[in-house]
Amino acid sequence: MKKRILAVLLGLSMIVLAACGTKPTLGGQTTAAEKTTAAEKPDDAGETAEETTAAPAGEDQVVIRTTFMEGELSRELLDKFEEENPGIKVVQEAVDDTKMASLLATQDAPDVMRCIGVYDIPTYVTRRIALDLDEYMNNSEVIDVDDLLPICHVYRYDGTTVGKGPWYGLPKDWSNDFALFYNKTCFDNANIELPSDTEPMTWNEVVELAKKLVIKEGDTTVQYGLGMVENPTMPSFYYLNQYLLSAGENLSSDDNKSMDFTKPVVEDFLTLWNDAVKSNIGPNPVNNDQTGGSDLFIGDKCAMIVTGYWYSGMIRGNEEASKKTASFGMLPTPMVEGGTRVAPTGSATGGFIYSQTKHPEEAWKFFEWYFGGEPVDDRARSGWGLPSFRSKMELLPQNDDFDKQVYRVTLDELNYGDAFIPINPYLGTAGRPMFEKWVDPFIFDRATLEETMQGMTDDANQTISEMVSVLEG
Amino acid sequence: MKQIKPTTRRSIAFYLMIAPWLLVFLSFSLFPLVYGFYLSFTNYFGFNLEDLSLVGLKNYQNVFSDKDAMGALGRTFLFAVINVPLGTVIALSLALLLNHNIRGRGVFRTIFYIPSIMPAIVTTMMWKNILFTGNGGILDRIIGVFGLGPVNWLGYDYALFSLILMSSWGAGGGILIYLAGLKGVPDELYESAAIDGASYMQRLFRITLPLLTPVIFFNVLMGIIGTLQQYLQPILLAGDQLLARPIKPIYLYVVHAFQQIFANQRFAYGMALLWVLFIITLLLTLVVFKTSRLWVFYEDGGD
Repeated sequence: MKKRILAVLLGLSMIVLAACGTKPTLGGQTTAAEKTTAAEKPDDAGETAEETTAAPAGEDQVVIRTTFMEGELSRELLDKFEEENPGIKVVQEAVDDTKMASLLATQDAPDVMRCIGVYDIPTYVTRRIALDLDEYMNNSEVIDVDDLLPICHVYRYDGTTVGKGPWYGLPKDWSNDFALFYNKTCFDNANIELPSDTEPMTWNEVVELAKKLVIKEGDTTVQYGLGMVENPTMPSFYYLNQYLLSAGENLSSDDNKSMDFTKPVVEDFLTLWNDAVKSNIGPNPVNNDQTGGSDLFIGDKCAMIVTGYWYSGMIRGNEEASKKTASFGMLPTPMVEGGTRVAPTGSATGGFIYSQTKHPEEAWKFFEWYFGGEPVDDRARSGWGLPSFRSKMELLPQNDDFDKQVYRVTLDELNYGDAFIPINPYLGTAGRPMFEKWVDPFIFDRATLEETMQGMTDDANQTISEMVSVLEG
Repeated sequence: MKQIKPTTRRSIAFYLMIAPWLLVFLSFSLFPLVYGFYLSFTNYFGFNLEDLSLVGLKNYQNVFSDKDAMGALGRTFLFAVINVPLGTVIALSLALLLNHNIRGRGVFRTIFYIPSIMPAIVTTMMWKNILFTGNGGILDRIIGVFGLGPVNWLGYDYALFSLILMSSWGAGGGILIYLAGLKGVPDELYESAAIDGASYMQRLFRITLPLLTPVIFFNVLMGIIGTLQQYLQPILLAGDQLLARPIKPIYLYVVHAFQQIFANQRFAYGMALLWVLFIITLLLTLVVFKTSRLWVFYEDGGD
């Protein structure tokens, strides 16, 4: 008898388990979101994931799950979409990096997902997570492929080269993320003239200029020269990638199956930014100033900040900064000494459709509307990022001198925005933490330059070889 | 109709009563545990669930040849060896102080207990941005009074110290349990000791502490398990994302497992790392249990 009771209990538990694994289906009430912190990527500022609860879907409605949240896709807009498409119910789910990994691991990922195009598309295509949208894109009556800016091709991938092959998604908006913004008050404080906003500086010139902009009172730094929006002023994987592009270098082999971080260009980059750390031009782990770069910049305590067009939205939207927009302006993306001028996007936040979606047609309908329909105009007018379509550029804010200066520099930057950051699809999200593992001891003088570059090479190649062996069986 | 035997009826009642817990345990504890164990023998990378292949003990071999994992394990032990005794002494001392019948005792109890109920993200951000920061941080100002510093609290030399300091600040969590234990010490013992002329220290070491050893044992055990599994505070000290990588001195074992799983998508390897930690924790617990016979006093003789 005891055994029988235990068997019944075990059976019941299996039912519970099976129920746990069931995907939301037609007619079922789906609780939309769990509150999570939005993954912080270069162009995430000002957007927060909020909890959203969806109403139950009707009997004949298809539920499309998306990870675009309230800050990027309002419920009012969604209601409009649902009115126009009565067969589709859109549910928003807040997902951060770790939850995304879990949802993909359990093959329970939402239908239309937010991603950082530059880094995620090659990785997701290689792992067969993203749906090929070529046919949809080329036959769309909403999205005019010919009107798309060259930068959008960052969502195309042929297995080895970004910008070639089928379409896998589109950016919702984008920015020239490696450009500079200046704070004129800080330049005046240091009695230094503003650099040209038509000719780009080299990164070496930027660091040298930043050194001159530092103001100290005794041992205390009261003004820094250069900050990053959310990160310390130190060598970073993101900035290395733009540096490589400007230098015309790629650390990956042609088949992407190995990487070499011992190249002289990496040495140049690490040496330059180590000098930046040691010269105290911005908050960094060695001076242990935990103040955010953006707070310093807006508070007139940091003269320049590395960021793209979206930051103009930040300035317009910030209570303190919006009162003194005349103090701010944009400078072109710096380049490598002897390299070429490039103004790439460092993230191109956008979306793709999950390859395992049960409803590709409905997912595309929603995708097409979000990336090509009314929301595009709203986003462009907001000035929080650049539009995907050339024809929408004129919708960007051009009200005051600040808007006009930023717009003028941006138009010039567009001429250099057709180059894509080299990404190794097998390294994927492991690149940044791997880079940090070796850079931290380097800037603290606990590892030599050679050890750092060799360590990066060994770790990257180990990750790549494991991933290749899984993908190729 | 067949009569149900009283013993069977009792069994049915028993299983029905524990059914809610049993179902939750089987679904959300045992099943993930066993499934994770299975995955640790595969090449699972987070996207190949339908195409898994078994790799034998390879992931486990990798754990022991992974310098980062072994370094992190050693660091975690060091952290535990310092943190657990320190936390025990602090919590016990505070509990002894708060056990005195003084005015405002309730207020002090609340104050010391608050850190342990505050979310880790709040406490860590507070320590990082207000106390540890290098630009006018409170700790630098305090040591500055003595002509010392400034110190990089989150740099290579002091990061582990800072983590221990922050953990000690939250040690008040054990106070409540110690206070409950102190309430269980019979007053008659103190009264007879007072008649015999015993000093405070004699009463403390001859009566209070021996009778409190079961509570100390419980807290030490929980402290060891909690410290070995520590991961959130080092991550938050490093940055404001869960995938932020702490610098080496506070790169603990579970942080490494977290990184392997969520940054590198090495799910199978991460499972192996965690199973190794589980076995180490189990062994340590057994050792502590064995030694408990030597120092833990049970009024019922330990039966």
